[in-house]
Amino acid sequence: MNTLPETHRRPLFPRGPGLGLRTFFLAAVSVALIFNDSRGDGLQPVRTSLSFMLTPLVWLVSLPSGLMSAAENLDSRETLQRENREFREKQLLLEARLQKLEALEAENRRIRELLASAGRIEDEVLIAEIIGISQDPYRNQITLNKGTRHQVYRGQALIDAHGVLGQVIDVSPLQSKALLITDPDHGIPVEVNRTGMQTIAIGSGELGLRLPFLASNADIQVGDLLVSSALGGRFPAGYPVGTVYEVKHVAGEHFMEAYATPAAHLNQGRQALLVWSESYRMDNHEAELHPDEPRP
Amino acid sequence: MTPTRNLILGFLLSLLVALALQLIRLPDVLAAARPAWVPLMFAYWALREPRLATLFPAFVVGLLMDVLFGTALGQHSLGLVFVVYIVERLRGIFILFPLWQATFALIPAWALYSFLMFWVDGATQHNADPWLRWLPALSTTLFWPLLFSVMEALRQTPDDE
Repeated sequence: MNTLPETHRRPLFPRGPGLGLRTFFLAAVSVALIFNDSRGDGLQPVRTSLSFMLTPLVWLVSLPSGLMSAAENLDSRETLQRENREFREKQLLLEARLQKLEALEAENRRIRELLASAGRIEDEVLIAEIIGISQDPYRNQITLNKGTRHQVYRGQALIDAHGVLGQVIDVSPLQSKALLITDPDHGIPVEVNRTGMQTIAIGSGELGLRLPFLASNADIQVGDLLVSSALGGRFPAGYPVGTVYEVKHVAGEHFMEAYATPAAHLNQGRQALLVWSESYRMDNHEAELHPDEPRP
Repeated sequence: MTPTRNLILGFLLSLLVALALQLIRLPDVLAAARPAWVPLMFAYWALREPRLATLFPAFVVGLLMDVLFGTALGQHSLGLVFVVYIVERLRGIFILFPLWQATFALIPAWALYSFLMFWVDGATQHNADPWLRWLPALSTTLFWPLLFSVMEALRQTPDDE
């Protein structure tokens, strides 16, 4: 059987000889774009406007999973009642804990005043819904339904109920894209909660987080909690990032490496919290004071 | 000129469907083996419709894919442009093949696409499992007869009217 019927064998318009040349030209443009894009931020506006144009498509593609979760909403009455009861109990428990927290917060404030440092426990947050997960299995990215209209900015930290989730890398008016902490491109400054040692946790996909180049006598053990550190000014300090599960001496190297499981429940749940960090607010404040100076 | 308009509309619609298939959520186990729908669709049109200019649309759709996947701008367009070039160049050979032979003859095109994606990812410092990278080439090969038959069946109906 032939794949082409008789009628189509002859093209309507004979093609000019430029195919190879045009291919070469477009390939050269592509390579130039790749080169430019991997070196700097110059193409960010193009990306932003294209991603705004593609918003309907992303929405369309997320419809099936949205419908599925809508079907889950049709729960039985008993389930709802049971859940309601559980929530009441949980709320009571949490309220009790909150009372303690207020006392602790007051104490913390007093102590901080003694130290003459400005720190706050509550950060300004905004709940965003995760509307898309990167379908490329080699990148850990999510799409959120909040954008510049909601004052989301590039580099903003993202947390969930259990710990730091990642940071925003790309903002368009109605949605934004965030890089998870396990992405190989991502690094986050962390502090070992037990000893206060500062280091950097680099994402390594399935392995969770990797803490490379630790001094060979560094005090770090399996089970240590890593919390976010304010160094670098991106992330708010003190949120859990992960727990160390392996400390490894690399043969023949002067350093050791540690591996940690992320505290945040990545790839679970549909909500995330966007956090406005203090350094961003201070930058904004300075920009208001000197409006003519360009922002970095 | 309604047939031409129908053709272009069908072309755009099929590209939209291919993009959606490329984006739709799959279980983690299958995600690595997702066939490359957009190159498949472009190869079909480049092979089957000499009247359409597919090279420039391939470039533009490649840029859209780069934005959608957050890859370096130009990565997917490079791959798509090369796939379209190969298919257009060798169309004279491909159209003489029966479907099953064309399926095998197109393997180098998918392999080249997978390799380009892998290579640019490597050049822009995104590491990836080098073995899993070849799964799309395999699944795309398997999906070619399906896509070809479905597209032929879909396009047969309006032509008969």
